[in-house]
Parts: sequence; C-alpha cells; structure tokens
Amino acid sequence: MIKAVTQSVRRIGGVALLAVRASLRTKVVASLLVLLTVCVAVLPGVVKGDGTPEGDVHILLAYTLGFAFGIQCLATLWASCALFAAEIDSERMSLSAVKPVRAAEFWAGKWLALLALNAAVLLVVYAGVYAQLAWRMHRSGWEAADRPVSRRVTRPVLPTPREEARQTFELMRQKDLLPKGLSEKAVLRALEEKAQERYDVINPGEQVRWQFRLARPLREGEPVTVRVKFDTEYSTREHVKGVCRLSCRERPGKTVEVALDDFTQNALEFAVDTRAFASEEAGKEASRSGGNGLREFELVFLHAGDPHKSSALMVRFRQDVALLTPGGSFEANFARAACVQWGVLALLAAFGLTLSACFSLPVAAFVATVLLVLTMVGNSVVQVVTEEDEALWRNRIGIWVSRGVHGASSQAMSVEPLKALTNGERIEVGVLGASLAWNVAWLPLLLAVAGCAVLRRRELADAD
Amino acid sequence: MESAKVIETLGLRKTFRDFWRRPVVEAVKGLDFSVRQGEVFGLLGPNGSGKSTTIKMLLGLLHPTAGEIRVLGAAPSDTRVKARIGYLPEVSHLHPFLTPRETLMYYASLFGMSHGVAARRTAELLTMVDLAHAADRAVGRFSKGMARRVGVAQALVNAPELLILDEPTSGLDPLGCREVKDLVRLLARNGVTVLMTSHLLADVEDVCDRVAILDRGVLRAEGQIADLLRKPDAVRFLVEGLSEEEASALRRELEARAGCRVQQDFPAMSLEAFFLQVVAQDGRLRTFEMAPFLQAEHVPGKGPA
Repeated sequence: MIKAVTQSVRRIGGVALLAVRASLRTKVVASLLVLLTVCVAVLPGVVKGDGTPEGDVHILLAYTLGFAFGIQCLATLWASCALFAAEIDSERMSLSAVKPVRAAEFWAGKWLALLALNAAVLLVVYAGVYAQLAWRMHRSGWEAADRPVSRRVTRPVLPTPREEARQTFELMRQKDLLPKGLSEKAVLRALEEKAQERYDVINPGEQVRWQFRLARPLREGEPVTVRVKFDTEYSTREHVKGVCRLSCRERPGKTVEVALDDFTQNALEFAVDTRAFASEEAGKEASRSGGNGLREFELVFLHAGDPHKSSALMVRFRQDVALLTPGGSFEANFARAACVQWGVLALLAAFGLTLSACFSLPVAAFVATVLLVLTMVGNSVVQVVTEEDEALWRNRIGIWVSRGVHGASSQAMSVEPLKALTNGERIEVGVLGASLAWNVAWLPLLLAVAGCAVLRRRELADAD
Repeated sequence: MESAKVIETLGLRKTFRDFWRRPVVEAVKGLDFSVRQGEVFGLLGPNGSGKSTTIKMLLGLLHPTAGEIRVLGAAPSDTRVKARIGYLPEVSHLHPFLTPRETLMYYASLFGMSHGVAARRTAELLTMVDLAHAADRAVGRFSKGMARRVGVAQALVNAPELLILDEPTSGLDPLGCREVKDLVRLLARNGVTVLMTSHLLADVEDVCDRVAILDRGVLRAEGQIADLLRKPDAVRFLVEGLSEEEASALRRELEARAGCRVQQDFPAMSLEAFFLQVVAQDGRLRTFEMAPFLQAEHVPGKGPA
C-alpha cells in the first residue's frame, strides 16, 4: 500500500515537473511575468488618482491587483486548456499514456503544476504591489489613519435573507397572497433576493435603529468605526444631514453622538474610541460584568433634514450599515486576499484542464472563454430578468444558462478580496477556509472526476 | 513445450468514424494473431495496412470496435501491464525543451521509480545509446537519428518484458538501422519479447523469428520467416573456390541429371553489408553495450524497481 502510494506520488511529481518545465522553457511564465510586471509598475502611474492616500490605495489595491488578476485568470484558463489538448493533438500524450499512469495522476500532476506556478506569480504580483504601497507611504509620509487597515465587519443583528424569505412566504400563504403559477422554490428565491436588497426608509424627522453584536468583544481604547451608506428612491445624489448615536449595552448611560453632513451614495465612516463610553455608571457596570469588553452596540440614525425640502433616505441595512472593529494586521489580510485569488485560479485551472481533456485546444479555449464571460455577466442577467422576460420562450434558454452558470459560480466567487482590501475589511479565516475548500477542493474534485472519466474513454492517438 | 502467449488478438476490428459517428474507414478487419514469449515478431504491410492501428490498440491508445486483446495476460488498459511494456512510436514525439537526461528521468518517474534508480538507469541508457556526451542538450536541437536513440532509450527505461517498436528504423541511416537491429537481437537474446512493424522487408528478415503480413486490415500470411520464404521445389548449392570453367562443367552435369535448366550466378554481398563495410572502416559501427540494469533485471515476470 505504502509502495503504491509512493509510486503514485512519484508519477504525479513527474507529470507536475514536466508541466512546470514546459511553462518555464516555452517562456509562457516569462511572458506572463513581463506583462504583470509592466502592469504592476506602470498602471499605478498611468491611472490618475484624486491625490489622497485613499485614492492611491484604491488604485493599487483595486485597479492594479484587479487588472493583474484578470490577466492571470485568462493566462491560467488558456494554459490549462492547452495542457492535455496540445499534448494529445501533438501525439506526445501517446508516449506518456502507454506508461502505467492513471488518468487521475495525469490530472493531479498538471493541476498541481498550475497551482505552484500561480502561487509563484501571485507572490511576485503581491510583493510588487506591496512594495509600491510601502514606497508611497514612505514618500508621502502618510499618517496612521491613512494607511490601509484590516477591520472586522459586523452587520446588524437580523434574520438571514433565507429565514426572512421563509417567514414572508408563510405569511403570504396564510393570507393567500402567493402568486399563482409559480413554484414554491421560485417564490422563495425571489423573496430571498428581495430580502437581501431590502431598504429601511427614513423620512425627515424620523429615526431608525440597528443592533450589533460583535464576534470578538472590543477592549477598552480600541476604536469602533461606523460605516453607513445612504441612497434615495431614484438613486439621486442628495444631501444627508442627520445625527448618529452609538451606545454600548455593556456601558449603559453613555451615548456618543456624531453629526453627519454629507451626500448619499458616499460610504460615510466615523471612528469612535471606546474610551468615550466610559462614565462612572459605566465603570460600575464594567466591574459587574468583570471587564469582558464591549460586545453589544446600538446605532440610531436621526434624519435631521428639512421635512419640506429633503428626500427620504434609504439604507440597505443588510449591506450598507456596519460596525468595523480592529481585525489584525493589513499584511495578514493582504496575504489572505492573495490566498482567495489563488483559490479562484486553482478552480479555473481545474476547469480548463477538464475542458482540455474533453476537447481540442481551440474548442476548449473557446468554451472556457465563453463560460468565463457568462460567469461575469450571469449575475447581472439574473438580477435584471423579470417574469415577463422569462415568459418569452426565446429568452428562456439564455436565462436558464445564465442562472446555471451564476448558481455554479456564485459560491466560488462569493468572497471579494480586492473589495475587502480596499474597504479595509478583514477576510475572516473561516471565510477564507470555506472559499479554499470550495475552490481548491470540492469543485476541482468534481471537475477532476469528470475530466478523468473522459480521459479514460478518450482515444489518445490518431489514425495514421 | 510451447511458450506462453504474450500478445493475443481475437477477431480484432477497428472502424474509424467521423464527427457524426458515421464509419469512415475500417482499418483492421477481424485480426487474429499471437506473439509468444521471447520471440521477435514482425508485423508487415504496406502503408495504410493497419499495422500502426493494431499496435495502438495493443497499447490501449485506440479502442477496438470489436474483438478481444490480451497483452501479458490482461487488457491493454491495465496499468500493471503497462508497467511491463516498452514502446517506441514511429515518430518519437519527445518534448523538444527537455534534455535526454530529463526525458529519461521523466519517463522513469512515470514508472514510479525513485530518483536514485531513475538516475542510475538514465546514465546507463545514455551510455548504451551513445548519447552521454549530449545528455544535457535540448532534444529539439537533435538530428532525427539522435532523437531516435532517445526514443529507444525511453522504451527501455523500465526493463520491459515486451517491447513494441513501430517502424524502429524509420528515418535512420544504414548505420543507425544496423545498430537498432543489433539491439533488437540483443534484447531478444536476453528474453525480451519484441513486436515490431516495418515496411522495410530487409529489416524484418534480418531480425524477426516470425512475421504476419497485413494488407488493408486483413491478415494475409503468418508464420516463421524460413517457412514462408522456402521454395520446396528448388535447391541451391553454394560452392567456393571453383573457376568459371569448372562451374560451367558442373552446371552442365546438373542439367543433364535434372533434365531442366540450372541457373548459375556469382553471389554478391547485400548493398547494406557493402555500405557498412565501406563506412564502418573507421569503427563507427558500434555494438550496443547492453545497459547493466537490462541484463541484471530482465527476467520475465519481474517488474521494474
């Protein structure tokens, strides 16, 4: 058994080493590195920022890393499409396939090679971007508040969209308000999507409150940042005038009040030092609770606009209100973002390899590119499609394909590392783990099973 | 006692189909033949006769449309069988960016060999095929003959019990052809079963014990070369040292006895033998020194380390 495993590992290693050598010696990786180096070195200089440290961070973390990642995605997808297909087309595969190597060993070897190459290339890109960031911080003497950070995000305590959809569904059923001709699943899906996007409407003079419970309690002196983004009914840019009041349940009697004077569609942020909650009464409460830190907060927003002139404000409370608390170092978050991207690249590599096992190189590359584009636009299609659109039979196929691709890819793309980095949001280890489990284990495993089944059945030589 | 069958096909058929699954060509039509342990078997036929298709089915690279194949007692797709086979395709299909050393190490790794064993075998094989001096040059820059030597070496890296050679002398000069034929004979003496295809009849005649002749996918003849080529109603005498007059007198005597015309000629060496005699005066014609691991480890039934 041990001997068989050892031999299998050697075979996988041999296949992986060959794929790495092929990439390095056919200058695929070198060309990619040159392209990425140009991207990392030139793009931040070409794209004009707003002159603020925040703008620079956005250009480096969102645009530069995003552009480099896009290039790497395409390179990984096309390279993986070539790995089996080109070898089979050139008949080189026939010489390897007559050796005692299982289809799964070929697949694993090539996939691991892509994983290793992607890790190396990502390391270079992230190191380049980090060096630029450090250089800009040093050159411009950014203050501590301007430097990129990593913060835990806590959303208001609410039922999940799924729970809320179920509750609404039951209510509609009791009142016999369920739409006719639609399945329960379709109604629940629509309700869940609606719950995710649901708004609180705040008219002038009204107030709204949200409760928060932190996963990790705050220590005395640590800052808590409130982030809130307002909108209006027609997404117009309007003046926001109001007051935010933040209180802590563990420190009753003390409320921190901050006046807001800004515009809708801007993410408004203000930080509060937790020492601001200290008071005599709060001190007694703290000693009663044993000084376990601050965990439960309440945020109240009072719309202080003119009742006759100001518009009603809207807040998507599941997405646009959050408390941000310290969440480790930016560098660790930066590394976690790289890991998330590496996982997505691993999935793309697995996808390309499986297509490569099924089709010739041009067909595999075409199918892969089309599916990649569908993945990118599928979300938009799914969101804008209406029941009327679906009623037309000629739209149905497109809608089904878009829904299928969106459904299959939404979990894989659920973590947005660059958005998190730019917003200074911590990528939780659990989220990273789930993302890696999905993108580097489960989905590749499914794709590998499909790819190996095809490889075993496929004829690996041509008729002469 | 008859030795065991290493290869056996029964009613083997292969029909190639187009994209719409319509039959395009029937390359092999009900082929029955067997190869016994330790023999050198030649599969002959003109281009398009189905030789390479048959070999690819024996190796599991193509799937038969009908019929049965047993190789070393199992189906060709069985990895345990593959571990005991060496294969040299008609075109070597080597990775041009690898050196011969890396190429052999790669194929050795596919047999699950440890780095140490693979390195030792690689060194021995490179010496055997006279490529030790070019071991670290990219194969893509090699001449066809040199690339063929790498191909031969990779086919032997696992000390195979069954060696399948598809047109092994294709593209080689007469010296290279002779060396390959010498190697085949040497391996056969060491107990390796060899199946080779060729359309160069002289090559097959030189090294094969038994042949099968394929034509348009059908087996036309099969048997020992000596049996197939023997003319039962003719006798040839080879006498050295007779003058022309004595030879003529002898011919007349034989014609008188046999009552028919007797053909008289003065035998010459083959063109290949003459060529080798001329160009190999400087000792360029090498004799393969069998790699030590091939001598030591080639015991039928024993797999690679």
